[in-house]
Amino acid sequence: MSAAEITDKVYDIIVSKMGVNKDQIKPESKFADDLGADSLDTVELIMELENEFGVQIPDEDAEKIGTVQQAVDYIVNKK
Amino acid sequence: MPEKAHYGLLKGKKGIVFGPLDESSIGWQIALHAYREGAEIALSNVATAIRFGNLQELSELCGNAPILVCDASRNEDVDNTFRELKEKMGSVDFIVHSIGMSQNIRKQVPYEELNYEWFMRTLDVSGISFHRLVAYALKNEAINDGGSIIALSYIASQRNYWTYSDMGDAKSLLESIARSFGPRLAKRSIRINTISQSPTYTKAGSGIPGFEKMYDYGELMSPLGNASAEECAEYTMTILSDLTRKVTMQNLFHDGGYSSMGATIPMIKLAYEVLHDKELADRVGLEDRQ
Repeated sequence: MSAAEITDKVYDIIVSKMGVNKDQIKPESKFADDLGADSLDTVELIMELENEFGVQIPDEDAEKIGTVQQAVDYIVNKK
Repeated sequence: MPEKAHYGLLKGKKGIVFGPLDESSIGWQIALHAYREGAEIALSNVATAIRFGNLQELSELCGNAPILVCDASRNEDVDNTFRELKEKMGSVDFIVHSIGMSQNIRKQVPYEELNYEWFMRTLDVSGISFHRLVAYALKNEAINDGGSIIALSYIASQRNYWTYSDMGDAKSLLESIARSFGPRLAKRSIRINTISQSPTYTKAGSGIPGFEKMYDYGELMSPLGNASAEECAEYTMTILSDLTRKVTMQNLFHDGGYSSMGATIPMIKLAYEVLHDKELADRVGLEDRQ
C-alpha cells in the first residue's frame, strides 16, 4: 500500500469516527484540539487503525500520535 | 469503612455483566456486589473499553472472573460470547445489561440535527443490544429456568430531558424490549426488568452536556437524594435474587423518589427566589428555555 493510499484510508477512518468533513482534515490537524476528539475517540481511532492496517500500536506509541500526519507516518513506517 | 453486610443472596448462582468500564460504572458495582453475594461472575465489554478501562482489576476483585470481549451490536460476537460463557461456566442465572453510548451526545449534536448513522448506532448499541443478549442466551441455552435479566435505564425514556438527546429514544426502546420479551420468558419463569436509576457520575454519564446541573437538580427533586452506583448495585441484588421471583416486565425506579415528585420544598424556594430577584433571574438567563 502506498503512502498516498494509507493517507486516504486514515482520513476515511477519521471522517467515520469523528464525524468531521474530509476537507476539514489537514496533515497538521491535532486530534484533540482541531478535530474535537475525546479520550474515547482516541482509543477507538488507534484500534481502528490497528484493525484496518493489521499493525499493533502499543499504548506508549499511541500516546505520541497527536496529529493526523503522525498517525500516517506511524502506519507507513510499520508497513 | 466497616465491611458491608452480605446476605448470600446469590449463593450458587452464576451470571454475566455486560458493560463495566471502571470503578465509577454501575456495571462494575453490580459485578462486585454479585460476587460478594456469592455469585460466580463473568464480565464482558467491547475491546475498546477493555483497553480504555480497568477490567482486569475488576476480574481480580471478582475471583478472577473471565473477561469476554464482545461488541453487543454484532450478532456473531454475542453468539460467540454466550457459547464461550457456557463452555467456561455452564449456563447462567442472570444477565446484566449496562451498556449505553451516543456519539451524537459525545459530539454535542443538537437533536434537530442528529447524525442518523450515529442515531442508528445509539439505538443499536444502547437498545437493540438488549434484545440480542437475550436472543443469543436463549439460542445457546445459556440461561437457566428461573433466571433474572436486567438492563439499566433512565427516566428520560418517558419524560423529556433536553440534553439526553437520542439516548432518551434508546432507553424507550430498551424498556419496551423488556416488556416484549416478558411473557415469552415467563414460560420458563425467567423474568426481565429495567432499573431506572438516578443520574450517576459514571464515564458515560459525565459525557452528557450539563450533567453536573442535572445531577444537582435530581438531588433537589429526590426526597431521599440521588441514588449512587453502589446503592443501585445493592438494589439490583434483590432483583437478581430469588426474593423477587414474580417481578417481571417492570421499569423499576431506583431514584430516591424522584419519579413520583411534582415539586419539592427546596425547588419551590429556589424558583421563588429566582423569579422575584431580577438580577438573579438575569444571571441564570430565564429566557433560555433550554
